[in-house]
Amino acid sequence: MSDKITTPREITFRVRRFDPDADSAPHWSEYRLDVHDGMTVLEALHQLKAEQEPTLSWRSSCRMGVCGSCGMFINDLPQLACQTQVLHLGTDVVTIAPLPNYDNVKDLVPNLEPLIEKHAAVKPYIIYLDQMEIDSPTGEFLQTPDEREAFSQFTFCIKCGLCLAACPTVATDPLFLGPQALAQAYRYTADNRDCGMKERIEAIDIFHGPYQCHLAGACSQACPKGVDPAFGIQLLKRALVLDSMGFGKKKSSVAKVVPLADVVKAIEEFAPPPRTVGK
Amino acid sequence: MNSNSEPTAYNNRLGLKGWIYAGKYTFERYLYLGHRLSGMGLIAYMVLHIIETANRMRGVEAWEGLMALFASWPFKIIEYLLFAAAVFHALNGVRLLLTELGFFLGRPKEPVYPYSSSIKRHRPLTYIVMTLAGLIIILGGSSLFFP
Amino acid sequence: MRETRLWSLHLLVIPIIAVLLGLHFAVMHYAPVFYGVSVEEARNFETMIERGRSVAQLVLYILLLAAGLYHGLYGLRGILRELPLTPALAKFVDGGILLFGLFIFALGAYVTWWTFSYKIGG
Repeated sequence: MSDKITTPREITFRVRRFDPDADSAPHWSEYRLDVHDGMTVLEALHQLKAEQEPTLSWRSSCRMGVCGSCGMFINDLPQLACQTQVLHLGTDVVTIAPLPNYDNVKDLVPNLEPLIEKHAAVKPYIIYLDQMEIDSPTGEFLQTPDEREAFSQFTFCIKCGLCLAACPTVATDPLFLGPQALAQAYRYTADNRDCGMKERIEAIDIFHGPYQCHLAGACSQACPKGVDPAFGIQLLKRALVLDSMGFGKKKSSVAKVVPLADVVKAIEEFAPPPRTVGK
Repeated sequence: MNSNSEPTAYNNRLGLKGWIYAGKYTFERYLYLGHRLSGMGLIAYMVLHIIETANRMRGVEAWEGLMALFASWPFKIIEYLLFAAAVFHALNGVRLLLTELGFFLGRPKEPVYPYSSSIKRHRPLTYIVMTLAGLIIILGGSSLFFP
Repeated sequence: MRETRLWSLHLLVIPIIAVLLGLHFAVMHYAPVFYGVSVEEARNFETMIERGRSVAQLVLYILLLAAGLYHGLYGLRGILRELPLTPALAKFVDGGILLFGLFIFALGAYVTWWTFSYKIGG
C-alpha cells in the first residue's frame, strides 16, 4: 500500500477575503501549503489559520459531511470543504470563495438565513387530517416500506445550502423558494401520513415556486448527500398539476393510525429470525 | 468605526452571470441557457413576424418589396439561425415537457454513494433529442435554406 | 390564479404549436413538395391572399397566434420576473406582458381577417 502514499505537494490556495469592518469589497489572498494525500480543504484551512493567517474565518463543525456548515465555492463549484480532498481537485492552484447567492458575512462565511426562512415557509412537517392525533397520539401510523421509499431520499437533506449557490434562478431571484425548500415540500407532500397539500399550496403554488425551476440540474450536481433536489421539484410539479386537475392524494391512501395496544401486541408476538452466527 | 453601526455583509448574488456562465456544471445547465436564449429569440421573431406580415395591408408593392428583402443573403442567414433555434427549442422542449412532469427520471430511492441523480438517469433522452436536433439543423436546415 | 394553471396551459398549447407551426413551415418552405409551386411563388402576394381566403386557414392561424403568443410570452414573463424586481415592477411586468400580448394578438388576428375577407381585384 506504500505506493499510495505520496510526497507532499505544494499547493497555492487563493482565498477570497472580506472583513465587513474594514473592506467595502472582497479581495483575494494567496497562501502556499504542503498538502498530503487525503488532506481535505477544511484541514488545509485549519492549517493555514494555525500557521499563516490567524484571522481567516469560515464556518464548520462536524468534519464529516453531516452538519452542512462548511459549504464553500471551491474551484468554481459549491462543495463541502470537509468532503473535498485537495489533491483530488487536480489543480496546483485551489480557489476558495464563499458560497454565491448568499450575503457574505466575513471571509468564507455566508449568511444562510434565507435558506432557513424558505425551508420554514413550505411547512416542512406532517400535517395530518386530525390535529388531535398529532397533539395526543393514540397509536402509530401505518407506513409500508414502499410508501416510505417514495420520499426517503429527500429526508437526507442536511441544509448545507449548496443547491441554492448552484441554482441559476436563485442567482437573480431572491424570492425563489429554491431547490432545498421545494424538495422538502415534496418530501412532506409525498408522505402518506401527510394531508397538507391544501395548506402548502398557499406557500408553493406561486410564481416564485417550482415552475421557476427549469431543470438546469446544477443543484443535484452540487448536493453532497445525493438528495437530488431537482428530482423532488419535478415530482412536486407533477403532484401540483394532478392536484389542480382534481387527481390529488385520495383520503383512502392516507396513513391509518394503528392503536397502541395493537402495536404492543405485535411487538410481543414478534419472533426474531434464527441466529445464523455464534450457534 | 462607530460601535453602533452594524457591519454590512457583501452582496454575493451572482446576478445575470448566474444565468449566462455555466462553468463546470452539467450539460443540462448549458441546455438551460440554450433554451432560454432560443426562446427569447423566437418570441422576439414571432412578434416581429406578426408586425412585418401586417405590411400586406399596405398593398402589393409593399409586400413584394419586403419579400425581396427577405430573399437576400443576410436575411437567409438570420432565417437559418431562427430555424436552428426553433429546432433546438422544440426538441429540448420535448425533453423538458417529459421530465418536468416527472417522466424518465426514475424512482426515488435512498442515496447510496456514488450517488445517481435524475439528471444522469434521463441523460439517454437528453442525448437522443440533442442528436436529433443536431441532425435536423445541419442536414435538414442546410438543404432547406442553402440548396 | 394558481401558477400551476398558468404553467399547465403553457404546456397544453405545445401540441397545438407543434402541429400548426409544422403546417405553417411546410406551406412556406416545402411549397414545391406540397403545392407544386416554388418557395418564391408561395410568398408572392396573390398566392398568399389566395391561401388566406380559406376558413381553415383563418381559424388555424388565429389558433396558432393565440397558442404561440401565450407560450412565448409566458416564458418571457418568467424570465423578466426572475429579475430582482420591486412588487410594483413585478405587477407592471405581468400587466405589461398581458396587454402587449393582447395587442399583438389583436393585430395578428385582424391581419388574418383582412386577408380572409380580401376581394381580389376589388
